[in-house]
Amino acid sequence: MSFVANLLLATVRMATPLIFLALAELYSQRAGLVHIGLEGLAAIGSLVGFMVSLITGSPWLGVLAGAAVGILVNLVFAYATITLCAEQIVYGMAINIFAPALAAFIYRVYFGAGSQLVQVGLMSTVGASLGVTPTNFLARLFLDQTPMVYLAYILVIVTVIYFGKTKSGLNYKAVGEYPKAAATLGINVIGVKYVASILCGALAGMGGAYLTTCYANTYADGIVSGRGFIALAAVIFGRWTGGGVLLACLFFGFCDALQIRLQVGSLGVPYQFFQMIPYVATVVVLAIIGAKKAGPKGSGKPYLKEER
Amino acid sequence: MEEILRMEHITKRFGDVYANRDINFDVRAGEVHTLLGENGAGKSTLMNVLFGLYQPTEGNIYFRGQKVRIDSPAQAVKLGIGMVHQHFMLVEAMTVFENIILGDRNSKGLFINREARKREILELSERYGLNVELDKPITEIAVGAQQRVEILKALYRGAQLLVLDEPTAALTDLEVEGLFDIMERLTQEGKSIIFISHKMREVLRISDRITILRAGETVCTRERGETTGEELASLMIGRELAPSHYEKVEQAGEPVVQLEAVDYHKESKHSGLSGVSLTVGRGEIVGIAGVDGNGQSQLAQVVTGVLAPEGGVVDLKGSRVAQFTPNGFILESVSHIPEDRNKMGLVGNMSVQENIVLKSTDDPRFSSGRGLHLKKRAMRRYAQEMREKYDIRCASIDQEARNLSGGNQQKVILARELEGNPDLLVAVHPTRGLDIGATRFIHDTMIAARDRGCGVLLISADFDEILEVSDRIAVMFEGQIMGVYPGKNPPISEISLAMAGK
Amino acid sequence: MKNSNRLIALLVPVISIVLAFAIGCIIVAALGASPLVALQSLWTGAFGNLRNLGTTLSRATPLIFTGLCACFAYRCGVFNLGGEGQFLMGSIAACVVATQSGITGTPGMLLCIVAGTLAGGLWALIPGVLKVCRGQNEMIISIMLNYVATLFMGVIYTNWLRDGSVPQTAAVPDETQLSRLFGLRVTWAFVIAVVVGLLVYYFLFNTSKGFQLRAVGLNMTAARFNGFAVTRYILVSFVVSGAIAGLGGSAELLGTQLRLINGYGDGYGFDGVAMALIAQLHPLATILVAIFFGALRVGSTTMQASTGVPTSVSDIIQALVIVFTVAGLAMVRLPQFRAFLDRLLRRKEAV
Repeated sequence: MSFVANLLLATVRMATPLIFLALAELYSQRAGLVHIGLEGLAAIGSLVGFMVSLITGSPWLGVLAGAAVGILVNLVFAYATITLCAEQIVYGMAINIFAPALAAFIYRVYFGAGSQLVQVGLMSTVGASLGVTPTNFLARLFLDQTPMVYLAYILVIVTVIYFGKTKSGLNYKAVGEYPKAAATLGINVIGVKYVASILCGALAGMGGAYLTTCYANTYADGIVSGRGFIALAAVIFGRWTGGGVLLACLFFGFCDALQIRLQVGSLGVPYQFFQMIPYVATVVVLAIIGAKKAGPKGSGKPYLKEER
Repeated sequence: MEEILRMEHITKRFGDVYANRDINFDVRAGEVHTLLGENGAGKSTLMNVLFGLYQPTEGNIYFRGQKVRIDSPAQAVKLGIGMVHQHFMLVEAMTVFENIILGDRNSKGLFINREARKREILELSERYGLNVELDKPITEIAVGAQQRVEILKALYRGAQLLVLDEPTAALTDLEVEGLFDIMERLTQEGKSIIFISHKMREVLRISDRITILRAGETVCTRERGETTGEELASLMIGRELAPSHYEKVEQAGEPVVQLEAVDYHKESKHSGLSGVSLTVGRGEIVGIAGVDGNGQSQLAQVVTGVLAPEGGVVDLKGSRVAQFTPNGFILESVSHIPEDRNKMGLVGNMSVQENIVLKSTDDPRFSSGRGLHLKKRAMRRYAQEMREKYDIRCASIDQEARNLSGGNQQKVILARELEGNPDLLVAVHPTRGLDIGATRFIHDTMIAARDRGCGVLLISADFDEILEVSDRIAVMFEGQIMGVYPGKNPPISEISLAMAGK
Repeated sequence: MKNSNRLIALLVPVISIVLAFAIGCIIVAALGASPLVALQSLWTGAFGNLRNLGTTLSRATPLIFTGLCACFAYRCGVFNLGGEGQFLMGSIAACVVATQSGITGTPGMLLCIVAGTLAGGLWALIPGVLKVCRGQNEMIISIMLNYVATLFMGVIYTNWLRDGSVPQTAAVPDETQLSRLFGLRVTWAFVIAVVVGLLVYYFLFNTSKGFQLRAVGLNMTAARFNGFAVTRYILVSFVVSGAIAGLGGSAELLGTQLRLINGYGDGYGFDGVAMALIAQLHPLATILVAIFFGALRVGSTTMQASTGVPTSVSDIIQALVIVFTVAGLAMVRLPQFRAFLDRLLRRKEAV
């Protein structure tokens, strides 16, 4: 029982950063911007989140700073792909190279090379803030979580409502599907794309900051370890809808939780094999669902105003 | 009648090219005013200027007597100008309802009030007889219905002036009549319509006034009562319309390709084939007439090996085709001028030279040791030769193919496809978007190929082109061959009926 | 026209490098060091004498392989982001053969290289097959496989082939190692890398198959309509690109690395992609860019010693070069820029 309970609790924990990142990708792609640079955004978000929460002592400020730096870096992506019409895939790669390098550099400069491990206090759980220690499984599921987990689920609900029920959400989707048509209807295509980039940057930065404010109490290069790409797979798996993305993230979060749990009782199998589980699961899932192209039709293509 | 729009001295220049030059044009309330002109006459450019997609280089626009600057489609919509583009601006992943309310600014609130909006839309739709199913996804409704959605979309935004850009191109005769009914109801209610077309019959049937554009300039404006089809045609082309230039062949040689009851995605009316049987013989041009999107693309792709049929058989030069691959057909000397030259015909980022030899780099003429070493000098020499022979106008053979004009791009493809003396040429919309000179050149080249003994399958939505060069005419409708008619003295009314599915 | 295009293709990365260095200098100054001293020590460290040059070339060698790997796949229009995994699989195969087969000397060397090449190619076959058969996103899959390869290497050096108490494998036997050139750090692996670069260049631009592969990469639909076996090209380009990385992995292991250890190969894949993009998919230019990157890394060590600026400033410069180059290349393709250029040229003519 405790194995299953712990597994499920860990699933929720591990799915949370993926939810932030996958929502980032969803908002980007719904506006026609395929973004493979989330890994980089999350990397810089995690570092800045770590540093700010270390300096100020407030993990919340850390998350906020992570979002801010995510926006900042993603505006570079936005300018290049929206205004300069650079290829999105290529520029996403550039961000993947640039942002982690920047993060590593800032870390070296600030903490000095070869310094000892710096640790930071994590965001307290809801239960701890309320001063209760949950004992049974259900209480732990709800109370043994940081508020960030709640924020993630609120964001999913908001996203579902936004794209499904609001006028603005409909217009937003039209930009990703058929920007030219959207433009003829008076929708500001370029504006929506920039807004999308801001949302994407903020969410990806928060996803990164989650890792250093709620999950691990220190920063290390490569801490994102592929979550940016797994989130991309989650968006495909989740068929570009809020609900689908949530389920996909829970699945990948479960894989991650499973590998951590299995490592504990490894029975002599090298632990790396367990660590492979989330990555292999991603490959297998993608291979199984195949490519029924269901994503926004205008994705990946630049939008030029006066074509001739 | 009161004037609603006046465009004065409109000039639009792209680099050194004038797309519009000093155009004057006005529309009155409650009239259908036709813009008539050939492809490239400047109709679309003028309308894009009106709709705020382009800024005019010079000239002024007055709407309801006020001088206006229209710098975005949103601005045009706000003024009360609605446009139904030739290629519909509909988001396929959404429903009819969602498409209509997209970008709506009239209603307040964050959320979509489905009930209220639907009531409004249905009211409009009934008033003008537009009859659409609001909850169907766009992909599930017919082309005619999609067009009505576009009209409804414009009306919902309060359009007083509607621009219909080649609205009949994709419609059957029956649907065209339905559209005309709607247009009449609109003008009765005081709306004005700019109708863009090059089909004389329709223009004379529906217009109040007709303005003719030629080579980017206004030729004149005529009231419907005071002109004839012949006059309009000669004004539009700048010369008298002549009957076919070409001698028609009545007796074809042995069959090159024979299709027998070929099926492909049978249930799809607009992109499938159902029991198609057809023969193309040596030394004849078989023209496929029909409204776009009745299976012509699929027919062309089956006959060139791009698609494999799901039923029936195809015989190529007397032997049954077992495997459908483009390469297999190319080896059997089948040439293909595909429908989309940029997407399917050319590698735009490669040079003119590379595109000309695209299919033949394995040939000993252009490489030694089975392709191990390219003979670049031979390739260049050959490309130069072709450039002259096919009159390809380019800065150099090293220019990228995507930077060429449409006509010259098509000539590059012709040079590649025809130079090997193919046994079968499949040409799909070979002159779409080209000017008269390039069109004539391409027709001459096809006739010459025919006279050499090549079988030609010509697929075109341009009925005049089919009549011009075909020795036999087959009509396609919803994936089926409706009938085959002689190309010499063709029974035009019978063919038109067949194109409408009767 | 053609010449001006070529000039722009060359100018964009050069200007990007200058810009990146300018920002690098600002950072150095902000850290309280002298940019001039930094630049000077960077240069001396990388090219100052023969020994340093040898080190630079040695550092560039694995990057050349992963750069060519990315370059080859992109030429066929597929994004192989799995260069790192393929490189590591090559290294792993070579390591296993070198330390376990008992075959040493030249035969051992050849065997290692063949094994590495095969391993890289096979590892790349997975995303290739999934792309062709399942139409799946090759980028995500190849990246996931990078993590799997890294973890698999972990299994090797911490468990299966662990040598002693430290988590690392035994070194490649002396006789199986690729020998050094002129007694410098750089080994025959560099020569192999350059030869592979030349071969890739020849294949792409002077053979019929290479021509067709490029056509597939530029317009898959047109290639299909013109009778090219598109799926076969995609698959082959994946395998060859993986094989190049795998070959690189084995050569690096036999020449410089000698044993598998934590952190080996980290970032080589993405660096390769960056280099191929800066070089605009030209194989020979890719080699030059790789040497430039190698120089940055080697030189920055000297710079750290003389100015105290951390070596990772070189990573920033490198990242800025890619950020600027890609944006710059997009910018020069914009119609507005074209018009601007035309006006500029015309004014010159008028004068």
